[in-house]
Amino acid sequence: MDIDTDTLPAFARGCAVLGSGGGGTVAIASVAAMQALEDHGPVRVVQAGDLDPDLLVMPAGTAGSSAVMLERVTGTEEPVHLRDKVEQLYGTRVGALMASEIGGANGCMAVAWAARLGLPLVDADGMSRAFPGMNQTVMQLRGITPTPAVVCDERGRVLVIEHVTGSWLERLVRSSLEAFGGQVASTEYVLRGRQVATATALGSVSRAVHLGTELPAPLITGKIAEAVDGILVEGLGADQGRLVRLEAGSEFVAVLEDGRPLACVPDVIALIDTRTGEVVQVEQVRYGLRVSVVRLLCDPIWYTPEGLRLAGPEAFGLTGLHSPPPSPPGFPCRAGTGEAS
Amino acid sequence: MKAGVDVGPTNTDAALLDDDGRVLATVKVPSRPDMPVANVRSALEKLKATDLTQVAVGLRGSATSVTRRRELRRVAVLRISGDSARAVRPLFGWPADLRDAVNAGAVIVDGGGGLERDDWTPLDRAAVSRFAAAMAGTAEAYAVVGLFSPLDAEQEQEAAELIRAEVGDMPIALSADLGSLGLLERENATILDAALSGFAQTVADGLGTLCPGAAVFVTRGDGTLMSLEHMSRHPGLSLGSGPASVLRGAGALTGLEDAVVADVGARRVRVGVLSGGFPEEAVGGARIGGVPVGFRIPGLIKVDRPVDDAELAEAVDRLQPGADRLPLVTVGGGAQAVQQGIHPEHGLAAGAIGAAVSPVGGFYERIVRLPDRAAVAAAMDAVMEEARAVAVLAGADPRQTVIIHADETQLDYLPGPFVKLRARAAGPPSRW
Repeated sequence: MDIDTDTLPAFARGCAVLGSGGGGTVAIASVAAMQALEDHGPVRVVQAGDLDPDLLVMPAGTAGSSAVMLERVTGTEEPVHLRDKVEQLYGTRVGALMASEIGGANGCMAVAWAARLGLPLVDADGMSRAFPGMNQTVMQLRGITPTPAVVCDERGRVLVIEHVTGSWLERLVRSSLEAFGGQVASTEYVLRGRQVATATALGSVSRAVHLGTELPAPLITGKIAEAVDGILVEGLGADQGRLVRLEAGSEFVAVLEDGRPLACVPDVIALIDTRTGEVVQVEQVRYGLRVSVVRLLCDPIWYTPEGLRLAGPEAFGLTGLHSPPPSPPGFPCRAGTGEAS
Repeated sequence: MKAGVDVGPTNTDAALLDDDGRVLATVKVPSRPDMPVANVRSALEKLKATDLTQVAVGLRGSATSVTRRRELRRVAVLRISGDSARAVRPLFGWPADLRDAVNAGAVIVDGGGGLERDDWTPLDRAAVSRFAAAMAGTAEAYAVVGLFSPLDAEQEQEAAELIRAEVGDMPIALSADLGSLGLLERENATILDAALSGFAQTVADGLGTLCPGAAVFVTRGDGTLMSLEHMSRHPGLSLGSGPASVLRGAGALTGLEDAVVADVGARRVRVGVLSGGFPEEAVGGARIGGVPVGFRIPGLIKVDRPVDDAELAEAVDRLQPGADRLPLVTVGGGAQAVQQGIHPEHGLAAGAIGAAVSPVGGFYERIVRLPDRAAVAAAMDAVMEEARAVAVLAGADPRQTVIIHADETQLDYLPGPFVKLRARAAGPPSRW
């Protein structure tokens, strides 16, 4: 499979869905990806099993404020700076790029950068969705060291971070953001081809393309009945009479009906504007909007005890909640793929 | 006495109001295509108004020019950002025919700013001069867009001086004048302002001689007015002004500050929201000719005629800001075709009345880094002062210009306490 200018719109929409209402808007990143694909041609998507065991795989993405990205729409040279420093640190060539985070802007950014570097893009990512912390990755759970990590800006100012744990990486990168003016590009958890199959979320790129055109049946379709003091969705049509509450931080993290969770982080929770088909981000929710609420499971590793500790309900301040069983009867969503069954 | 004129595609409406805002008369004349000034003249003649002190006009010419790719100047685009913003080049994603009609050439030169003073990169002055010289003879206008220029316009002004030194007196649109952060939208808007500058100047000259003795203003998409001089520099601000005036007029005729308004036209109904006396903005801003430009325009839901009652009810319901229902006001030339809502007297001329009663507006936005919450108030004072200054620049009476809206948004994922502050000011039109 390739990502080209024809498949990019579906891929970008899938990335927006996997953002779970956050992860930064794809509006600018998808245009950057479009320009990169026009300038450099399609990006080849490769499967984990086809990677040379020793191939150096560079996960990459941006961190920072989406308000800054609106102005600093990113440059063309960040992936070059990251790759050059990684090659110097590891003493070997980078053979493939991977999205650190498929959900939101970073999924699209990975396509732009793979195109610019002329590298294949691995059909995987570090999260299988968007998470707020850069250490909330499958690589972290699988014991891949995050460092040496490289942080840079568009002008090639490069910072190398060594000998730290995932939470220290998060802490150091966040504090460097201020000095970098609110936005950085970064690579961390660099890995080898042989590690990709077990230490990443597999199938993320093809899943995003698929979700861009086809979503599972919604949990509820209705209208936003309250948007100021919490978010309520009141059912319409076949869902008339139902009322669900959404919990949200920078992402949607839970859907509750009569106090029972219909979905809960690490599930992906996406809101789709039923009139326009657009993916609705947390900050775009307003009274009266007609929406479908869609639940997608994310990579099975996030439902293990270690996964839940790093990115489960309690990591988002939700106590006493848990994701409902992954495959209730008739629930048209399979773990790890999100494909309709 | 003051007059409001709304130049629509089919008809031009005009309204005469006394100084207390009472409607004395309304008239309707057929619109002749592509003759906005003549249409205003006919409507004012039919109104038989004497001793007018103020005329406010709503025009749709800017949007029409762009959608028809007509009367557009060729623009040289200078982006000051260096490597910080190369991922999307100027004019990328524009419809090819619009880009061909407008683009004289584009370049990205080094320079540009950031959130703080230390983030700034010096302007590559030589590159600006080279580009300006290379564009001489091809470009009919220049658009200058600096990274983070709404925080500090100095480099844009420096570049404009360098361009003038190379090519003499030329229309130069600066993006900082548009205020809002969002490089691509601000750049697109600046390019359109430059492209429309010839058309806008012609209209401004025509309107300026129409009513000697009266101060003449034009409407804009946020429901306020601007002077002809301001419009000739920022014609894009008039996008969305038609619906905005209708919303304002519906408010003036009913005395409501908050309402859902259905504007019933010949072919469709446009439903929008009046919030605190002004139109609620569209999320995501305006697109023109397929290009996102970020101008503040009313958020509307359009329902085709003949009107399906259920569809209209859903549109009205979608626009309700909360569970407490706002009243529906039904206005516009076809208002009698819709049963629902309050039908105020003179509602057929709501657009012209809205133009006549609106104040002159100004908007300002900036991102600031504050040591603590206590510093918000002082920073907000500065932002409100800027908004007032912008309104005065657009033609508001400085003695009576007040802040009509101010808000703050905390920015995510930044370690420091960065806050986006926005303020809107409005004042009655200055007579001088």
